[in-house]
Amino acid sequence: MIGLFLAAMRFQAQVVRREPDYLMSLVTIPLLTVAFLAIMGNAGRADLAPYAVVGAALMTIWATALFVSGELIDADRWEGTLEGVLAAPAPYQVAYLGRIATVTVISFLGLVESALIAWLVFGVTFPVPHAGLLVLTLACTAFSMVGTASIMAPLFVLARSARIFQNSLSYPFYLLGGTVVPVVLLPEWLRPVSKAIFLSWASDLLRDCLRAEEPVAAPARLGVIVGLGVLGFGIGHLLTRAVFKRVRENGSVGFA
Amino acid sequence: MTTAAVRVRGLTREFTRRRAQPRLALDAVDLTVEEGEVHGLLGPNGAGKTTLCKILSTVLLPTSGTALVNGFDVVRETKQVRQGIGIVFGGERGLYTRLTARQNLMYWSALYQQPTRVAKARVAELLERMGLLERADDAVETFSRGMKQRLHLARGLIGDPRTLLLDEPTVGMDPVAARDFRSLVAELRGEGRSILITTHDMAEAESVCDKVSLIDGGKVIGTESPRTIGGWMSKYERVRAQGVPEEVRAKLRALPGVSEVRVEDDEEVLVSVDAEGAAARVLRTLVDAGVSAVSTSRPSLEEVYLHVIGDRGLAVR
Ligand SMILES: Nc1ncnc2c1ncn2[C@@H]1O[C@H](COP(=O)(O)OP(=O)(O)O)[C@@H](O)[C@H]1O
Ligand SMILES: [Mg+2]
Repeated sequence: MIGLFLAAMRFQAQVVRREPDYLMSLVTIPLLTVAFLAIMGNAGRADLAPYAVVGAALMTIWATALFVSGELIDADRWEGTLEGVLAAPAPYQVAYLGRIATVTVISFLGLVESALIAWLVFGVTFPVPHAGLLVLTLACTAFSMVGTASIMAPLFVLARSARIFQNSLSYPFYLLGGTVVPVVLLPEWLRPVSKAIFLSWASDLLRDCLRAEEPVAAPARLGVIVGLGVLGFGIGHLLTRAVFKRVRENGSVGFA
Repeated sequence: MTTAAVRVRGLTREFTRRRAQPRLALDAVDLTVEEGEVHGLLGPNGAGKTTLCKILSTVLLPTSGTALVNGFDVVRETKQVRQGIGIVFGGERGLYTRLTARQNLMYWSALYQQPTRVAKARVAELLERMGLLERADDAVETFSRGMKQRLHLARGLIGDPRTLLLDEPTVGMDPVAARDFRSLVAELRGEGRSILITTHDMAEAESVCDKVSLIDGGKVIGTESPRTIGGWMSKYERVRAQGVPEEVRAKLRALPGVSEVRVEDDEEVLVSVDAEGAAARVLRTLVDAGVSAVSTSRPSLEEVYLHVIGDRGLAVR
């Protein structure tokens, strides 16, 4: 099982190396760092620089999950490899999780990239007062991102007009996930929705790690991030099974 | 008693279609592939060959009937079935074309739950065996059709399966590549593996199979020896000739075993026969009459099926 997971991770790393266009969001979205920092600087709020860096990075991470991890099963369907995966004895769920894990890990380079751009272009550096908690939060965020992406991959195969769906999961989620604008600044009626999304908890806690004052209730908040991630794995598992069930019932083409 | 490699009873598969009558791709099929046998499934396009292979490889559910592979049920015992089979679906698809041959095989090997160390050795061995070692680290998209197909076969062999399902593995290959492929099939048989191979090529069925089942319109019409198939190819041979005077045409029509003498638009004459030795008589008559632009060709599978089914008084579909 672990062997399969690791082999699938390695496999996906090879895919990404061969098809660098998978990493488009790593190229485009950090440009947002520049835009955010420029606006904040102009408004005389250089203190918001960490918001810009974290925000752009989380947008990259989310977009990569959506447009790369979210495509994995569908791409196998188009390549004609889906049937081979289904006919193999290994649990295909584990294989896809391994592949998603690689994509997610790579997307976290967006954070490094954003921080570098902030430093190189604007000379912005910021201290990390709660480094340990930051690392822990990033790890939990990655875990939950994999879980959430495991919902996307089968969802885009099952959903009728996958593309529309995919796009509608980008900007609204940047907002609801509090990536750039903290959720507390959103209209009140939107806040409960946003609480159901792990990303909003992750972005809040990441920002708090960059502030001097002690983050409140950090363990509980980490628990929520992980809990929502676990929920994601569960839903992803069921949806992936539904995809393969449908393939077996209908033949691989001619659905969705 | 040994378990048969494949045992199919009353297997039916219906495809429901939007705004159309459901299509019966398989209609109460019975088929047995004995252990260690190379069994051909010969049928024209749309006969139901791929549908059967998909059901046997657990990627498609039957509508009714049963299918056992290596003694395991393809609906209920999928895990055991999957562990014992290798599948090769013909055509270009089914490989990660941007990746190298080795990378492809390593991933498939992981899907057959082989530890990395075992996998490395097995992949190298298969690449060598398929004559792909030199190109092992090139992207699959740069491969020829024959190379891709050999990679497909390597993929099918990754789990060291007892039973192989090959769905039109030589389709689109050039003749040399196809011949090499067939000798590989013979080798695999020598290793004691059971093989179900589908094809629409009678010569292929004749040359690689121990037994050949005929399938058409979702029904298995019968099982024959490859020699019988070979016999049909000569029995129903066709002769083409150019510049055949009218009186010679009449002579041809009168020959025993000649079923049809058709004049095509370009003044070419097409002679169909339906008896052993008739084609030779046609050739002799043409040569004696001084006609030199003569060639023979194999009958199409559809033509042979029409004869065979007609002779047996069976209705097609
Ligand atoms: N997924 C599908 N949906 C609807 N009809 C299908 C599907 N797959 C195959 N068929 C139909 O079933 C019949 C048998 O197809 P197939 O098994 O592919 O034949 P073969 O492999 O012998 O060419 C054909 O009429 C084909 O159109
Ligand atoms: Mg077919």
